[in-house]
Amino acid sequence: MRRCAQGLSLIIILLVSGAYILDDMVLLLAAGTLLCGLLGQYLLFEYRFRSIVTSVTVQRSLERSQVRKGTTLRVSTKVTVTVPPSMHARITERLSPQVVVQDGDTTLPVEPDPNPRTYQFRYRITPVVHGKMRVSGISLFVQNVFFSHEIDLSSHQFSGPDLIVQPVGIFEPSGKRTTAESREVEKLKVVRGFGIRALREYYAGDDLRHIDWKLSAKHNKLYIREYTGMVNLPPLIIVDLPWRGAPFPQADLARMVSVVAGMAEHSIRSYQFVSLLVISGSNIIHFYREEKNLQQCMSVLREWMHPVERVAHQYHTLDRAEVRAEIRHLETVILQGGNPGILHFSDTLRKHYSSVLVHMRAPAFTGQVARTFSSLAIDECYLFSLGCGDASHIHQLIRQAKIADVMMHIRLPGAIISSRLPEDQNYQSANTVEAFA
Amino acid sequence: MKQIQRDYVFLAVLAAVVFGVTAWGGLPIWYLNLILLCLFGGIFYAVRSWHDRAFYLACAGVPLIIACCVMSTWMGLVSVWMVAGIVCNAMGILEISDDIRIFILFCGATVPVALVVQVSNHVVLPLLIFVAGTAVILAVQAVRDHQFRKQYGAHP
Repeated sequence: MRRCAQGLSLIIILLVSGAYILDDMVLLLAAGTLLCGLLGQYLLFEYRFRSIVTSVTVQRSLERSQVRKGTTLRVSTKVTVTVPPSMHARITERLSPQVVVQDGDTTLPVEPDPNPRTYQFRYRITPVVHGKMRVSGISLFVQNVFFSHEIDLSSHQFSGPDLIVQPVGIFEPSGKRTTAESREVEKLKVVRGFGIRALREYYAGDDLRHIDWKLSAKHNKLYIREYTGMVNLPPLIIVDLPWRGAPFPQADLARMVSVVAGMAEHSIRSYQFVSLLVISGSNIIHFYREEKNLQQCMSVLREWMHPVERVAHQYHTLDRAEVRAEIRHLETVILQGGNPGILHFSDTLRKHYSSVLVHMRAPAFTGQVARTFSSLAIDECYLFSLGCGDASHIHQLIRQAKIADVMMHIRLPGAIISSRLPEDQNYQSANTVEAFA
Repeated sequence: MKQIQRDYVFLAVLAAVVFGVTAWGGLPIWYLNLILLCLFGGIFYAVRSWHDRAFYLACAGVPLIIACCVMSTWMGLVSVWMVAGIVCNAMGILEISDDIRIFILFCGATVPVALVVQVSNHVVLPLLIFVAGTAVILAVQAVRDHQFRKQYGAHP
């Protein structure tokens, strides 16, 4: 009830009291008619309020359905509502307390219009607590000159969709800490690091020293900090040597050899050993496993760091996964329809790919790399290459690294980074691609 | 018909009722009705841009209605309709045909109220009827409102 209606109610109460005390029918008539008017307005408001609520439809979409804690994502909500004349409404998104609104409006005024009108919310949120989260609907506030009502529309048709928030996010330090012989990884290890990789609920047996008291007090539930793990595994160094039969930049090769030597030396000094894989295209030239002697390592580098003859060549070789992706793409094109010529070509190409796929075997190089990764205790590797010629073997290296859960860092000459990298798909799935100094 | 024209119509009819009742009653304090009419007109003019003008107009209109009802219940009822029309017009809730229909419904609903008052000798019985009726309506509305909120506010 708004101020105007409250004043009218006061007048009614005064008139009724006066009529009762003075036994005056005139005062009662005035009170009765006022009461009749106010009650009628209330019933009318209730009727219109219900019609507004029943006219509401909500369509909400999230930019992603699964994010990491601390990631900002965009939310778009379309609300269609019919507000009759002389009524005013306001719609507010009911967001979970687990998220923070970064920008955009979550409240919109709705103007009276006898026809359905669609309003759109656009805002960005950042989940600060991991777990399953659901936008719990909208809040509708309706008022006219006498009354106002608010209702939380949280049933199934107004709420959702679900957002799964994975741990790790804003509590995670931006850069991984490294010491002389170890570095932090986002895995549970016996030796724990200093960074927090996740927060989770307390389970019996957890170390009480790991309880996050501030978060626990906020949510009235015990939360445990999961710390990052510490590893002291040296990275695998992969050197991709150029082919002798094609031109290559001599200066870049010299610089690459220098950087590889420096890295191998650092690895031996920090981690006591280094593993070195020398390849040239899809040919494995040499593999040094956990070499501890610095002198020996340097002599090996001096022996092998020059252009070699390639026995096997790959030229834009596709692997089975890529062929399957091509087939799926062509099937989508055929299903969508269109120009008969394009459809015929797509169908022919699809049949060709399908027939090739049946007889396709994984290249020997892929198997050799997979066996190399599986035999080493590593979690990251550095690939040094001059980026000359075909890069199919690099793509296969990255794929095998992903399968083995090994981070792949690619180091290329600066000129290649600036010229070829943007359009080259082979490098894009690596964890980092940088120029070697 | 524009809002201002409706205001003039309601005010003219109200003035006619007040003048008629005053002339027909022949009371020694006949000028009181005219003073109340002028007061209502003055307040109507003064509060035309105020936010809660319905309340002030009701406050100004109630003495005038009482004065008319003292002379005649049915003339008082007509004055109620006119004051209600002015208040509704001032609040902008007499713009569309639906609103006018609702206003006519209100006028019809006040007739039984006046009839109850007319046939009763004392306040207690009609007062009980009004209070009981209001209580029943509010109770039913409360239950409906609860069910409505439950339907739309329930979690799946």
